[in-house]
Amino acid sequence: MSLPATRRNVLSVALGLATLLLITALAALALGGVHLSIARVWNGLLGRGGDSEALAIVRDLRLPRVLLAALVGAALAVSGTALQALLRNPLADPYVLGISSGAALGEILALWLGGLWAAAAPAMAFAGAVATTAWVYLLGRRGGRLASYTLVLAGVITASFLSAVILFILTLLSTRDVRGTAFWLMGDLSVITNARIGWLAPAVVLAIAALYAFAKDLNVLLLGDVEAAHLGVPVARVETLVFLLASLLTGLAVSVSGTIGYLGLLVPHLGRMLVGSDHRLLLPTAALGGATVLILADTLARTVVAPLELPVGAVTAVAGAPVFIYLLRRAAG
Amino acid sequence: MQAGSLQRNLRYTGKERMRALRTPVILLLAVCTTRTLPPRAAAIFAATRAVVDETHRQVMVPEHPQRIVSLAPSITETLYALDQQDKLVADTDYCDYPAAATQKPHIGAVLNPSIERIVALKPDLAIGSAEANRRETADQLEHLGIPLYGLSDKSVDDVLKSIRDLGALLDSKTQANALASSLEDRVQSVEHRVAGLPPPRVLFVTWYQPLITIGAHNFVADVIRRAGGQSISDDLPGEWPRLSLEVVLARHPDVILLPRSHNYTPSLEDLKRLPGWRDLAAVKSGRVYFISDTIIRPSPRLIDSLEEVAQILHPRDNRSAIARDSLPSPESRVPSPDARHPMPDSPLARTEPLE
Repeated sequence: MSLPATRRNVLSVALGLATLLLITALAALALGGVHLSIARVWNGLLGRGGDSEALAIVRDLRLPRVLLAALVGAALAVSGTALQALLRNPLADPYVLGISSGAALGEILALWLGGLWAAAAPAMAFAGAVATTAWVYLLGRRGGRLASYTLVLAGVITASFLSAVILFILTLLSTRDVRGTAFWLMGDLSVITNARIGWLAPAVVLAIAALYAFAKDLNVLLLGDVEAAHLGVPVARVETLVFLLASLLTGLAVSVSGTIGYLGLLVPHLGRMLVGSDHRLLLPTAALGGATVLILADTLARTVVAPLELPVGAVTAVAGAPVFIYLLRRAAG
Repeated sequence: MQAGSLQRNLRYTGKERMRALRTPVILLLAVCTTRTLPPRAAAIFAATRAVVDETHRQVMVPEHPQRIVSLAPSITETLYALDQQDKLVADTDYCDYPAAATQKPHIGAVLNPSIERIVALKPDLAIGSAEANRRETADQLEHLGIPLYGLSDKSVDDVLKSIRDLGALLDSKTQANALASSLEDRVQSVEHRVAGLPPPRVLFVTWYQPLITIGAHNFVADVIRRAGGQSISDDLPGEWPRLSLEVVLARHPDVILLPRSHNYTPSLEDLKRLPGWRDLAAVKSGRVYFISDTIIRPSPRLIDSLEEVAQILHPRDNRSAIARDSLPSPESRVPSPDARHPMPDSPLARTEPLE
């Protein structure tokens, strides 16, 4: 089942999945609440033919949204893969350490405070993610290094505490503000600014590349701390850096899209079924697969109830839970 | 103890209770037990009547309510407009108009009021709104024996009816009828003025990130309609649907209405920077109007909003920019199907290029 991570295998898996990603992305550009013919989509994408409506819909709305979905999907899936290895826990996902709740609290605090704070909501969300990461990291350290169980418990407790604070603030918001905020809590990709994609893209790509450098170490870590140390892996340093990079990816994703569930849990498992658990293969698989899956989910969110839209987090949760149960049953049988 | 449980039973059982009251035996029993009730409860018991509220529930309300709790800002406003504030013992944290309403004791937020605090205030009547409050709140109050009169406002007419109904409920029929009639006159004068003018297509923005607008059965849609406009989301189900921005682009709104929020309201410059928004003709030409948030409150001031929206869509002063830009020349102003503003589901809507 496990594919050997030769250079050739890595390249061909990456190429195959990249092709799939590209096809999905093109399909997503062609679909939406407004029906556009393929010719108009093409013209809109290339900015030809003076079709200003197609230009606005395809280039200004669909294209950035597909890019955003790809980046967020890749970030969440890679973060989930790394955390599952780091915590040696197949149930770990990007949210298990409370990072999403920290980001959500930042966002909602910004809305509640209003004025200039509200204008800086994504920055506040990211600040919330960073602060939570630092807090959980400090709690999760035992004798100078990260202890897997302590870290998970610290994350879970922090997450539930922060969620409680969020619920408290929600009761203080007026009905109208709650309506907008609820979508954010459910995970939503409809809020786009090009500047956001401008800084999100390099940050996500760099963080994934940096994590890839630890692919071999993650393989060894799965054997256990002691074994990894015997094999010459600087365990404490690797754990710290992987934790910080995974948290950074989650923080970036959550600050632009809210909390999109299941993706970071599901895609790593799908990836393992496809290529096995060598992280040199698994990390690129998760990145490309996560991007593809979230584009797919967001296209559904944009089209199934058109002209209305669903929050994409609702789609990933509704579709994710049954898929996960199916995978569990299959693995057990 | 016995009296207490009887009292609770009488409040519990809806229609049967009415039938029971007509039976002489029970009536006799009731009269006997009344003596053992505390004086205030006895007063309520002695003088209640059954009414059907706007949500079609039958409620036993006091003949002359003296201690009222309002569960929504719009209700508080109406009570003040009817000069009934002395009977108002508490309102919600969001009741901010008139200013005096903020000085009343508060029972919490609209969606999750403190039931304990309501009970502690010993009201003889709670007034709620089907659109603003939760069903659970109504059920809890009913369970605790506090009569709840529910209002339902899905249109401008509903709002006027609510004023009259509250008047009938609170011994201020004359005042309520006078208020409702004067508001009705203002509605009619707006309608008369805009009659026959081609309706601009309006996007109403309840929330802009993500875009939440209004459905067909929302009183805001009715305000826009009666102010001589047409909401572009008139075909959508639900009260506050979430519309796709690309559909907004394809429906070409002439005017965007955005109620100001005390928390955060984007500026026109903000919208001009946002993908999708900046492609809308209404944003490009600055036809985005930040209006009073009384438009999302079904109170007597909704008619102020109606006039405000009518003034935006069809200014009295015809030299104003919007009249010149968005409306056809006077000679073509006939109430016929308007070719420049096709209905969303007509094929024209998709092929019409952006202006």
